[in-house]
Amino acid sequence: MSKPIYQLVDELPTGGPTVMALRALDFVIPGQWDNLVGFDNTIRTVTGETDPALVKQIGNRAVALFNDKSEGYQRALWLYQTVTGASAALGAATLAGKAISGVPFLGVLGNLAPKPEKAQSIDLAVKLVTEVVAFCQINGIPGDSVGDFLASLGDYSGESLMRMTALVCFDGLIPLGPTFADKALSFVQGSSPSDLEHNQTFKGVQELIPGNDSSGKLGFIKESFGSTKGWMNNFVSAKNLTPEKVIDNLEKFVEISKDKAQYVGPFLDVFCKYYEHTGVQTLARRLVERAVAEI
Amino acid sequence: MGSASWRTSWRKVVAPILLSLVLLLSACSYSSPYDDVQEETTGRDAPAAVSDEAQKGGSFNQFFPRSQDGYDVVPAQEKQGFAEYKVNRDGTNVAMLSINDTTSNPDAKQKFASSTRQVAGYPVVDIGNNQTAALVADRYQVKVQSRDESFQKEDRETWLSKFNLTGLAQLK
Repeated sequence: MSKPIYQLVDELPTGGPTVMALRALDFVIPGQWDNLVGFDNTIRTVTGETDPALVKQIGNRAVALFNDKSEGYQRALWLYQTVTGASAALGAATLAGKAISGVPFLGVLGNLAPKPEKAQSIDLAVKLVTEVVAFCQINGIPGDSVGDFLASLGDYSGESLMRMTALVCFDGLIPLGPTFADKALSFVQGSSPSDLEHNQTFKGVQELIPGNDSSGKLGFIKESFGSTKGWMNNFVSAKNLTPEKVIDNLEKFVEISKDKAQYVGPFLDVFCKYYEHTGVQTLARRLVERAVAEI
Repeated sequence: MGSASWRTSWRKVVAPILLSLVLLLSACSYSSPYDDVQEETTGRDAPAAVSDEAQKGGSFNQFFPRSQDGYDVVPAQEKQGFAEYKVNRDGTNVAMLSINDTTSNPDAKQKFASSTRQVAGYPVVDIGNNQTAALVADRYQVKVQSRDESFQKEDRETWLSKFNLTGLAQLK
């Protein structure tokens, strides 16, 4: 088994590339994400409870719930970690040894090859589907109707909304441009089961994607992506987002030279573990919400 | 080289190695007040956190209050023995509503022994800073929690009475 849940939450970084890249997206959803770290700190912040004995009691229940395999929390963690690891591996495969002088933080950019648009599109779609599957592992399928379920999914806030913002910006806008949702959907529509089988991100998480075989899973991915495309397009237009704006804001936190902008996507793939970071935060929050209610 | 001097030089070499090992281990070691519960709840014989006898979370949905008076009630979680809804006002989460089956964790019932008031005939207690709970049919815990200063203890009590508690008591 991997580390205990409380240790994962205690050891979430407070700085470094992931946190800096996410902070750069604050302009999209101002004040929504505050990088909540530390297990007891999460309990106090989520519940507003301060009595140490009560906090410990909530924590004990949260740990017990997480450790019960049948509750789905471990599968959700695995999904968040695996989808992050797989896309990092894809970027790292193109990483060579030398650094560019004068560009300290993003010095390795020149050694990263941008992913082909088809691979990037499948990546985006698989990550989006992973989000839906992880949501269900953590929260079940809340409510009595499809409408209830969609209302629940649409109520994203905090770190979950930040994860979706990062997905749209880092895996959509930057690598695929302003029309990324339509572009990605058409690539995904045109993909074959074998395209999917060759995608690292898909390979990582395929066993938890609904569908009997690659062809069934591709169908599920197409359907899910098609139904969330509208949400992504609305999000981009409501927030007036462009790739340039995202890169401009990233520049405030990390050093990027304009002529290297095409390498920002692969760089983020390797060094920004936003999916796992915010995934652990979401998982911790939901566990705590359940634990405090049950004790 | 005599054995005494050999021992001295041996110590000179070993001492710094031991010292750096100690430093290394203390830097790596992580301990937490949750280590005990971690040990109790992992491994082959660990007890399940949720009882097989617990009601399906979906069976609780019908007893929750619906959106009203400017408050949106949005489903949040539904797992075995547990269902939870958010109460949002103008897009801000102001409270949480939940029902859980204490079959999984009977300890949760103990606090109701000191209850001094009731809602619809069921014992009610306040917990910590932000929680008010009722115990229905000596089995189902119904909880309302504040998540915003605008939602006070009186609001928790009011929302507790909006649940269909008598209906819930019939759930077998």
